[in-house]
Amino acid sequence: MRPHYPIATRRLDNGLRVVVSTDHSVPTVAVNLWVGVGSRHERPGRTGLAHLFEHLMFQGSQNVAEGEHFAALLAQGAQMNATTWVDRTNYFELVPTGALELALWLEADRHGRLLPALTQDNLDNQRDVVKEEKRQRYDNMPYGTAYAELTSLVFPEGHPYHHTTIGSMDDLDAASLTDVRDFYTRHYRPDNTVLTLVGDVDPDDGFALVAKYFDELTSADVPADRPLAEQLPPLTEPGRIEKFDHVPSDRLYLGFRLPHGGSDDFIATEIAFDLLAGLATSRLYRRLVRGDQLVTHVSRNTGARVDGTSMGALILDVAEGVAVEQVEQGVGEQLRRLATEPPTETEMAAAFADVERWWLQSLAQPDERADVIGGHTLLYDDPDHLNTYLDRVQAVTAADVAASAAAWAQPESAAVVIYRKKEN
Amino acid sequence: MVQPRPVVPLAQPWEFPTAERHVLDNGIEVLLYNRPGQHITSTRVLVPTPIAVEPRELEGVATMVARTMDEGTRSHTADEMAELFEIDGIAYGAGYGARGLTLETEATAAKSAQGWALITECLQEPAFPAEEVSRHVGQRLSEIEHEAAAPDMRAAKECAATFYDQSSRASRPAGGTADTVRAITAEHCVDFHSRWIRPEGATVVVAGEFDAMRTLRELNATLGTWQVDTAAPQDDSLAALVAPGATRVRFAHRPDAVQTELYLGSLGPDRRVAGGWAPYPALSFALGGSPNARLDAVLREEKGYTYGFRSAFRPRHEGGMFIVSGSVRSDVTVEALELTLQILDSAGEGFTEEETTAATDFIGKTAPARYATADAVADEAAMLRSNGLGTEFVSSYLEQLAGLRAADLDAAWAMWADEPRTIVLVGDAEAHADGVRALGIGEVTVI
Repeated sequence: MRPHYPIATRRLDNGLRVVVSTDHSVPTVAVNLWVGVGSRHERPGRTGLAHLFEHLMFQGSQNVAEGEHFAALLAQGAQMNATTWVDRTNYFELVPTGALELALWLEADRHGRLLPALTQDNLDNQRDVVKEEKRQRYDNMPYGTAYAELTSLVFPEGHPYHHTTIGSMDDLDAASLTDVRDFYTRHYRPDNTVLTLVGDVDPDDGFALVAKYFDELTSADVPADRPLAEQLPPLTEPGRIEKFDHVPSDRLYLGFRLPHGGSDDFIATEIAFDLLAGLATSRLYRRLVRGDQLVTHVSRNTGARVDGTSMGALILDVAEGVAVEQVEQGVGEQLRRLATEPPTETEMAAAFADVERWWLQSLAQPDERADVIGGHTLLYDDPDHLNTYLDRVQAVTAADVAASAAAWAQPESAAVVIYRKKEN
Repeated sequence: MVQPRPVVPLAQPWEFPTAERHVLDNGIEVLLYNRPGQHITSTRVLVPTPIAVEPRELEGVATMVARTMDEGTRSHTADEMAELFEIDGIAYGAGYGARGLTLETEATAAKSAQGWALITECLQEPAFPAEEVSRHVGQRLSEIEHEAAAPDMRAAKECAATFYDQSSRASRPAGGTADTVRAITAEHCVDFHSRWIRPEGATVVVAGEFDAMRTLRELNATLGTWQVDTAAPQDDSLAALVAPGATRVRFAHRPDAVQTELYLGSLGPDRRVAGGWAPYPALSFALGGSPNARLDAVLREEKGYTYGFRSAFRPRHEGGMFIVSGSVRSDVTVEALELTLQILDSAGEGFTEEETTAATDFIGKTAPARYATADAVADEAAMLRSNGLGTEFVSSYLEQLAGLRAADLDAAWAMWADEPRTIVLVGDAEAHADGVRALGIGEVTVI
């Protein structure tokens, strides 16, 4: 089963890319803006700035008072938020059809006229809020900093992906009003933004409304970005971090460099990681969880990244009384096995069926559809990705998976982070 | 030129989709929600045996049954079952809550009948292999340690333990404690399953795009064949009992914690409360539903103490709780708790019409989007059914919601404002317990 969502695209004279995907089944429109700025654009000493900036976008703009963006949209039944990641910052709301125009007006004001409302008080308050977010989500959680440590091993010092989006406390403290003003001028601009509408609006009406509110926005006269980095090869001398901490059980993280996002090679590695740890029939689950019972839980993630190199991870919770080394060895055996013993037809069918189901299920939500369209338009110039992804997944062969595992996911190219339980 | 701010027209009225009701040959009730355009079909099967029927010394056995019913049957091994689900891309899950067992599948429309056949096999003939049960017991024991280490989960657990009377099942985790879980064997799972997991009273909810006649035929050929020969035992379970007495404060010590989790629970209504349910989601929103709500307006936007506070009325089958929670920078623990209590106390002075409208608009107008997908419809229908209600409940409370005034919120708040309260803190008790004691809000116990 393949989705066939309609896609219509337009570029305004100021460079803003607009995508409309019409669906009249529910009286709502998902409004989604992807801005091409994320933590990879931060300079040394100012990590966390892209995310801190995302918070400031809710503190008012030239014609919108502090708190009014939330209040005005919530009162119309909008569900909204924003997120920051390595490659982008996105802003989105799902609104009843009648509130579409208000949402566009509010978005145009903050995406084009934020600076008059930016104050030292707002910056100081949201800096405090972000520091609490960091403490809540990372510093005060068991294993909360492991992923940042793994990332720092996978990408070398000075690489745009070496640090994580939340940044460091010192850098957050150092961010000045001048920093955030310059950041806005440099990165928040129509030629660095994709605006997607999904839902109860026809393409021509959608384009006209977007033009009405966004036409007058302009882009700064400096480049928003540099050319993308080269693909990094797999790690040859991967680093290790081992520590004792207040954690409930020993945990092993393996981190890998992967092909850049948007490529067929990346899709093959996604399937390889699914076959290792994404299913109840996956090899690591069968062997280490169900079979040898060395591990209580295994998971994987593969995150596509645009700037040359993506990252993949395997995460294993070690069973009580089992040595981490034994688990590490067991994982290594399965990584080698995937490279030499390609997946069976049944394994490939299960992996594809799983992707097909979750892909269709997530696209059932108009806001998720808007997110996929916006993301793939901004980063890969591929607005039709939501319709073609399953074909690309199905084109991956068992031999591709084995080759991908051999090239990218071998134990000698894995960065390792180990958290050991500190006995009280 | 900057365009003037647009004016928003009135939203169209909306009602929750209507269910088509049927009964299978074995008496299972069927609720069908046809949702054109949905590629995935969502199924929920409810078996309404309250968790309180578990033997006290084996608490967690119901959860263990839910987790191992698919780990091997008389016809297939655990590995074969996993393969049968996954070869067709069928996502399967099962869990046990206060009101009973829920099994769920998500599958493309073409594969949903295969999912029902597999669910039926799990319900009818699970084998509970000893090695699979012991593996899941080990995983649950590990999970208990992980739950204790996460501040928010630790706080919720301590709150239930303090708020509910010790004789009440609600005072202890649904999945059991380390002592009771460690005692569970495959035989216990076999016994619990044969005694309590039965088609009488069960409901299946299906939401997606389908042909109703064909769906019914396929359901009858699968779940409709599920039979249990023995007589059903009586269920004499108790409702959740609240521990009597004044406010209790429990401070769970976490050395050197950089934040303190605050978790306040008090008695709240269930969905059948006199005066109607609608004021309660509105109160939750006004107090802790957005950065502009009363809690975050002070604790987050003014003070910068927190990433965010939330409040929610959590109805049970009978009675419920009102929960307020959030985590704050460690050094402002005492001040943040005092502010939180002041904000809650001042709610008794009344809500404004503006706050009321903001809340009712948000909840009412987000409904079409919240229930746009098959899985959201199926989840809501299954949850309400397990509480003896149909999805007409949603449409009727939304109708009541639209007419609410501030006085209705005030009246609803007044009914529950003075109920017994439990306060849990998870953080550095050595540094802050004395400060909390000095607030004089109740007896403080460090745990």
